[in-house]
Amino acid sequence: MAREREDILKDLAESVVNMNMALAVSTAHEAIESGLDAYDAITNGLVVGMNKSGVLYDEEEYFVPELLICSDALYAALEILNPHLKREEGQEKIACVIGVVEGDTHDIGKNLVKIMLDVAGFEIHDLGRNVPLADFVEKAKEVKAEIICLSTLMTTTMDGMATVIELLKEEGIRDRFKVLVGGGPISQAFADRIGADGYADNAANAVKVAQGLCARFVAAA
Amino acid sequence: MQIPQDTQTSLERVGSYLQGVNPQRIACFPLILNHAARSIDVPVAKCIRDGELFGKAHVAAYRRYGNDLITFLSTTSSLAEAMGQKLNFIEDDAPQLADPLIRKLEDIERVKIPDFSSDGRLPVYMEATEYAVAEVGQEVCVSTVFAGPFTTAAALRGTDVFVRDLYNNKEWVHQLLELCCQAGIKFVDEILKRKSLPILVEPIGSASLISPRMFSEFVSPYLKRIADHIHANGGGMPSVLHICGKTKPNWKPMREADYDIWSLDVVDMGEARAFAGDRVTLVGNVTPANLLKNTPEQIDAEAKVICEKAIGNPRGFILGSGCEVPINTPPQNVDALINAARRYGQLTTDDMPESLEKSCC
Repeated sequence: MAREREDILKDLAESVVNMNMALAVSTAHEAIESGLDAYDAITNGLVVGMNKSGVLYDEEEYFVPELLICSDALYAALEILNPHLKREEGQEKIACVIGVVEGDTHDIGKNLVKIMLDVAGFEIHDLGRNVPLADFVEKAKEVKAEIICLSTLMTTTMDGMATVIELLKEEGIRDRFKVLVGGGPISQAFADRIGADGYADNAANAVKVAQGLCARFVAAA
Repeated sequence: MQIPQDTQTSLERVGSYLQGVNPQRIACFPLILNHAARSIDVPVAKCIRDGELFGKAHVAAYRRYGNDLITFLSTTSSLAEAMGQKLNFIEDDAPQLADPLIRKLEDIERVKIPDFSSDGRLPVYMEATEYAVAEVGQEVCVSTVFAGPFTTAAALRGTDVFVRDLYNNKEWVHQLLELCCQAGIKFVDEILKRKSLPILVEPIGSASLISPRMFSEFVSPYLKRIADHIHANGGGMPSVLHICGKTKPNWKPMREADYDIWSLDVVDMGEARAFAGDRVTLVGNVTPANLLKNTPEQIDAEAKVICEKAIGNPRGFILGSGCEVPINTPPQNVDALINAARRYGQLTTDDMPESLEKSCC
């Protein structure tokens, strides 16, 4: 007998927050078989769970391994649900370009921010790590991004963030984008100094800052 | 404010901590690593692949700055490198990890306990250590730094996969940590043989990455074995542990690992003192990015606040940088940090540290 919508959504959320990939996958199949709307299953099931994981991370109950394994469960379920999504009607996502600046290959922090922004409903364009600085600008223009997220763990590469902002200014398009920076050596003072729009000290806060920077998003929420 | 003159050599100053007598002023350990290449004006990649240049660079940096600890480290992946992990060398920056040696679990067979006379750049480390000990070992403490088992394992496996293994392949993780621990113990022996101080860094054990539960299970037991080995074989040398990033959530399991000296990064030194000061000498923690970007006056002000919080720590306090002094740090900022130890670190008898040796024996 098919279970109630609430039970399925609850299992989807709990499978993510409890790092249970097997349950995430079986419940995703169950959701499809029982005719649950895929969008409903994602937003009111999986995303609820991942947001809960984000809160636990912010509270230092969860750390990086836990958040990554939660996201593994999330993405395993998404793979099953995504093909069943109906064409989105008019609901345009906010495009966000993200990457680790040139010279640096540390990408765990960037990946956490990417996951949390993805879950929060941003359209993610991940350039990866060791990204040539001009690529951020090109990609942001190409996908009509509203936010550019720059990450680094190294003091030798942090100035690349200032260069990206300079490149935007040189092209006269600085005001088309919000620039969000983060990573080990980055501080609010550094963000202010280079003229970034926002700084976040962890992945959970990055979402809050990104949402704050996008007035349109806030208005819609 | 005038800068008081030093009346002790660096080694006398550091020795005071070990003997439990009052140094004339607190010691200062700016963690000068790849920045040392600037002192002999060669690119980083060249400096750290040539034992003689590596040694000369750190001796030159010491002569330039008067830092109280020479620290041989080019990357926390050096032990992993000698165990088979490839690195990418960048002309004027620290090397970075290439694709992980261990792709599949069975690749653990490819991990070897290194031969210190031939594997990776261990011969470079050994030659540099010998050079510095011979050149300036009578006046300053020389240390050789290597990554703890957890960090070395993460380098061999790739950190993003390794942290998942902590859940999915626990037993296997312990096998890998065992190999890394054995390599670490061998490192300690090679360093002690050369009259240098072995120092452990365990950045992947940072609370910026893993929880206290994981630290207890996968980090502390192996760190403790290495600390015990240093205590048993070091002739009174203290065990020293540096962990970058946040550490406060992991202080409790860190304390179980039994290190005499903690070098800390993003923490409140007052809190660290309250938590561990009865057992641990604290080192830290001027913000590395500030050393790169701030003015000497700002460095001085930051160091002053830290000194106010940490001086009087029962086991003593050493002013330092929270993590590596950035490669391109202006020399006057390193001067400002060391001068701050001269200015704010003059000790009264009330501030005297208890003997470290008590905890070593």
